Amino acid sequence: MNGESRTSTILTLLGISFCLLATAFLRNVWGRPVPLTPISLVSPEFTNTATARLSYAERIRMKDDVSLFDCYGCHDRKKPPVLRFDTNQNLIIPTEHEDLVMGHGTHNRNNNCFNCHNEANLELLQTRDGRELKLSESTPLCGSCHGPTYRDWEAGLHGRTSGYWDRQAGPSDRKDCVSCHNPHHPKFPTRQPAPGPNPLRPGANPAQVHAKAH
Amino acid sequence: MAGETNPPSSLPEPPPGAGLNRRSFLRNSAVLASGLAALAASLAPLRDLKDSTSMEQFLQKYYKELTPAEMEKVLERIAREVEREYGIRPHLRDVKPLDGVQFVYALNLTRCIGCRKCVHACVAENNLSRNPEIQYIRVLRLPHGSLDVEKAEHNYAPDQVPEKGYFYMPVQCQQCENPPCVKVCPVHATWQEADGITVIDYDWCIGCRYCTAACPYWARHFNFTKPSIPKDRLNPEMAYLSNRPRRQGVMEKCHFCLQRTRAGRYPACLEVCPTGARKFGNVLDPDSEVAQILKRKRVFIQLKEDLGTSPRFFYYFDV
Repeated sequence: MNGESRTSTILTLLGISFCLLATAFLRNVWGRPVPLTPISLVSPEFTNTATARLSYAERIRMKDDVSLFDCYGCHDRKKPPVLRFDTNQNLIIPTEHEDLVMGHGTHNRNNNCFNCHNEANLELLQTRDGRELKLSESTPLCGSCHGPTYRDWEAGLHGRTSGYWDRQAGPSDRKDCVSCHNPHHPKFPTRQPAPGPNPLRPGANPAQVHAKAH
Repeated sequence: MAGETNPPSSLPEPPPGAGLNRRSFLRNSAVLASGLAALAASLAPLRDLKDSTSMEQFLQKYYKELTPAEMEKVLERIAREVEREYGIRPHLRDVKPLDGVQFVYALNLTRCIGCRKCVHACVAENNLSRNPEIQYIRVLRLPHGSLDVEKAEHNYAPDQVPEKGYFYMPVQCQQCENPPCVKVCPVHATWQEADGITVIDYDWCIGCRYCTAACPYWARHFNFTKPSIPKDRLNPEMAYLSNRPRRQGVMEKCHFCLQRTRAGRYPACLEVCPTGARKFGNVLDPDSEVAQILKRKRVFIQLKEDLGTSPRFFYYFDV
């Protein structure tokens, strides 16, 4: 009899504990699943594969408005423009071209328009050794001064290439210098970074974590 | 039997020690029934598991043992599951390594500006979980003058990058020639393919996370929950070993976008890089960008080179 009562006690206790567990799970006492910290989706601008800027050649290909490149819409063919410099030998940018930011070369040394533009025909470019190039084919002009970078670009080491690494599988597109660099101000511009990994700490935003780390 | 031949004249006394009479039987049955019901109810959390693995997937053979016909069936099963879950019929393939191709990645530390576009292009291309976040690429910000990763910071959040006095080093799977993660896998769910990419069979992984512990680059990521991918951001161009949606409880990592690169295209992180700091190609082709970089550039870093992992991922400088 002792054995029987022990068995039923154990069975009753087990039954009660299962009942308690069942109630706990069914009534969702512990709460599940653990709620996730909401993370907003990243803006599609950060997955955009466009280059930093549009070159003249790309604008022509896209059939974009290129009227700004029609020099002789305003200039006179027979009268080459005259450049003016201030007392510090900085170029005075004429009001018609006030959107230009000049900053080519350290200490602003490359600030003579006709180092690159052709004085006699503004719709052409010229290298220092006298070769004339179209506005849409400026890369060899850049290369006439930036030799090592041009050599790297030719081999695909500098600059952007998109499309196919396997040239038999499909085309690849090696971007020109001016697809990324503004020729008048070639330093690559700074930009806003995409959001970093979410630290998932309540109340912490990445900027605060960043500040705490220093 | 004995009772039939000799019907008892009166109710027999229960033999001493026998616990079974009508009352105790009913009582015990009632206790047992309610106990079993309670047991069943107390296993309620198991209900959540019913969707995680289908029987077909459970019985599926090892990737390397699948015949082409069986592979077709597996792809069909996965496509069906993806369509049911996301409402999009994926273009799912099993892409094999190309002959005569060894992939190498090169990243120019002089050019990287730390904009993290590669991180998010990768997330979009490879159907990574948005919440909780899984990201194959971590961009480290390091102070000038040292490559000490102990000084690295990956939560940087300035208004504009690059910042003065820092450089940026994106770190992702280095596709080691001597991968420690492959050695520790107890079920051979991860292996190195002929083109150098270390892949994972998500249907074979048991989620033990030994590979996370073995990887010195923090390149392996675990799906602690079911990955969440917004339906409108699912990339339907999928491959079995790469960007098909993962299950809860499996590992994943960068696979050099093999669904793209084995079709001859550049990986997504390279395509989005605004500065052209990322270079990728077949190192066996002497005219490829990566072969030219290894030939012409002077300073290379294989991250944690001293560990002998021999990464296929080279950091270089413009000198």
